[in-house]
Amino acid sequence: MKTGVWLHGDSLSKRDPALRNHPEARSVFVFDRPFLEKAGLSFKRIFFLYECAVEAADEMRVGETVEEILDWVRCEGLEMLAVTESPSPRWREMVERLRQKVEVKVVPAEGMVTVPEGYPVKRFTPFWKDLGKEWV
Amino acid sequence: MILPKFTGSREEQARGLAKAMVGMYCEKMEEARESLYVGGRTAGLEALEKFRVQTYAGTRNKLKGNVSRLSFYIRHGVLGIREVAESVQERFGKSYDAIKFWQELGWRQFWRHLYGLWGDGIYKDREAAKVPLGNGTEEELPAEIVEGRTGLVCMDETVRELVETGYIHNHARMWFASFMVHFRKLGWKAGEKFFYRHLLDGDPASNALSWQWVASTFSHRAYLFNRENIQENGGKEWCARCTAKCPFDATYPELERRLFSK
Repeated sequence: MKTGVWLHGDSLSKRDPALRNHPEARSVFVFDRPFLEKAGLSFKRIFFLYECAVEAADEMRVGETVEEILDWVRCEGLEMLAVTESPSPRWREMVERLRQKVEVKVVPAEGMVTVPEGYPVKRFTPFWKDLGKEWV
Repeated sequence: MILPKFTGSREEQARGLAKAMVGMYCEKMEEARESLYVGGRTAGLEALEKFRVQTYAGTRNKLKGNVSRLSFYIRHGVLGIREVAESVQERFGKSYDAIKFWQELGWRQFWRHLYGLWGDGIYKDREAAKVPLGNGTEEELPAEIVEGRTGLVCMDETVRELVETGYIHNHARMWFASFMVHFRKLGWKAGEKFFYRHLLDGDPASNALSWQWVASTFSHRAYLFNRENIQENGGKEWCARCTAKCPFDATYPELERRLFSK
């Protein structure tokens, strides 16, 4: 299946796990206009992301992320989208919206430790004691 | 809309981007500048290669200590968190310094995991505060604070560095947050928003939950500091040129009595 990779702000480099799974795929990064207009971030942050995206993505866009990605999917003639997992609720909503129009494959993000499904977190110390054994 | 790749120097590229994205950042277009910290994996790998973990544990709390300044690359996945940990392991082996550094990386994964569990719940008090706090209704921090005009050199310089570069040392973040929440009795959400706006490594979970850690809504006790703490950790130069009546010049029991007595 012709696959494209959506790079986002949690995974913005050639090392992105979805991109490593699909090294031949084209990739896109979108500056989300509605979010940025509301968040009012400093330009330094935007430019830092731009410098990351310039190196990482084949195409950069500005606009409403889901609409821009779907337009890119059409322009590129893609059949599937691959993306690295993010904990962000906004990212989850976007993936749900994208799935209504295109097949989306979610690739796990790179972690320092593996956190089991449903792991009950209270404080860092027990978390690291349980899961960080490789690093102590 | 396709965003072009701008050509020329960093400054010229920044001008092009500022024009293309007007209305999507907080400064006026003519005041939009790039940070001294360069984005992208090439710059991230250079920074990783330069970082030496020796002395990290003993100096990381000092303003001029041996900290990695890799946080903005890790936050945006430009460097993988495991990639960074393994690089330190391969180059320096296991040592007290390395273990402390890995633990700090572990915090980032901890925050990320909580974000996955709680989503936007990170913006609500996770627990009842352990000390009296302000009512937390402010949308923004007062102008005199965000413009660096409090007269307290340590706080004003922290703000100046944050706004000019997009980065401040973790200890300076903690002092500033404690000053906002406990000395000024401002809500942590306004401070969180200010940091998120400017920090190149601004991450929703790490930022919001660290503010809650200082406030004591996600920790066992409130985080306090005093003048001695600032001076011991590299802030003597600030104190030397400060003419304000120092609100931090007291012992911890005295500060607790002053700030937390109902």
